[in-house]
Amino acid sequence: MRRERSVGGLRCGEVLACLADYLAGELEARVRERVEAHLAGCDVCERFGGDYARVVACLRRILAAPDPPPDGFEERLLRAFEEAAGEPGH
Amino acid sequence: MAAEIDAELLSRVARGDRAAFACLVRRHSAPVLRFARSLVDAGSAEDVLQETFLAAYRKADTFRGAESARAWLLAIARNAARRLHRRPSPVLADEEALAELGARAGWGQTPSPLAAAEGAELRERLAAALERLAPADREAIVLRDLEGLTTAETAEVLGIRPGAVKTRLHRARLRLMGALRAGGRGQ
Ligand SMILES: [Zn+2]
Repeated sequence: MRRERSVGGLRCGEVLACLADYLAGELEARVRERVEAHLAGCDVCERFGGDYARVVACLRRILAAPDPPPDGFEERLLRAFEEAAGEPGH
Repeated sequence: MAAEIDAELLSRVARGDRAAFACLVRRHSAPVLRFARSLVDAGSAEDVLQETFLAAYRKADTFRGAESARAWLLAIARNAARRLHRRPSPVLADEEALAELGARAGWGQTPSPLAAAEGAELRERLAAALERLAPADREAIVLRDLEGLTTAETAEVLGIRPGAVKTRLHRARLRLMGALRAGGRGQ
């Protein structure tokens, strides 16, 4: 079971709540220092924070490159564009 | 620079310039298609993609003031997906307590959700876990982590405030970690 601890002036739940902002570098310096003090002294949050950061890094690295549209898509779309652009009123 | 190119392309597209339209499509179709695939089934995603660019042509003159062409196109795609499929806006998953979400995501538990997974297996597990999320959660992750939109751009696409984007993204990532743990190996 989870152990809620107070380390570095923050409880584990408070660290969990600001993990995304911490990783995005969007916490103000004072809060960031307390998060870092907590992570240094709490193995539970230190491990979970690492997992969270790894999952985000994997999403960004592994799934980042989208597959191109299927063959022939661009030609079909350009034909549709020509029809639309040729309509009266445009 | 990319922003200026897109703005220039869109002003030419508004005048019916075929070459500018083709260029716009080449710059943005792959990410728009990926987003469409996260909203509708694979068979309909191409329809959404085509409709997105035709709608972009019809209202190219409304682009000014958008966060970016990418965000503007993705917002159009989101509307096109809803119109083509008459789907209501994605319903938000129940707002569970953050501690519960965290516990399911592995907070205070072992092993870690990605233990021992790498390469192709990791990619497959991530994609499968993403697939299992509620649409509103998947949307937040696709826009911020895969498409690489900023919080402000994501807020524009989803029509919500930036603070709400941050909250939704964090909760969505925790649910994704929960899905990864639940899926485990060989899922
Ligand atoms: Zn802790």
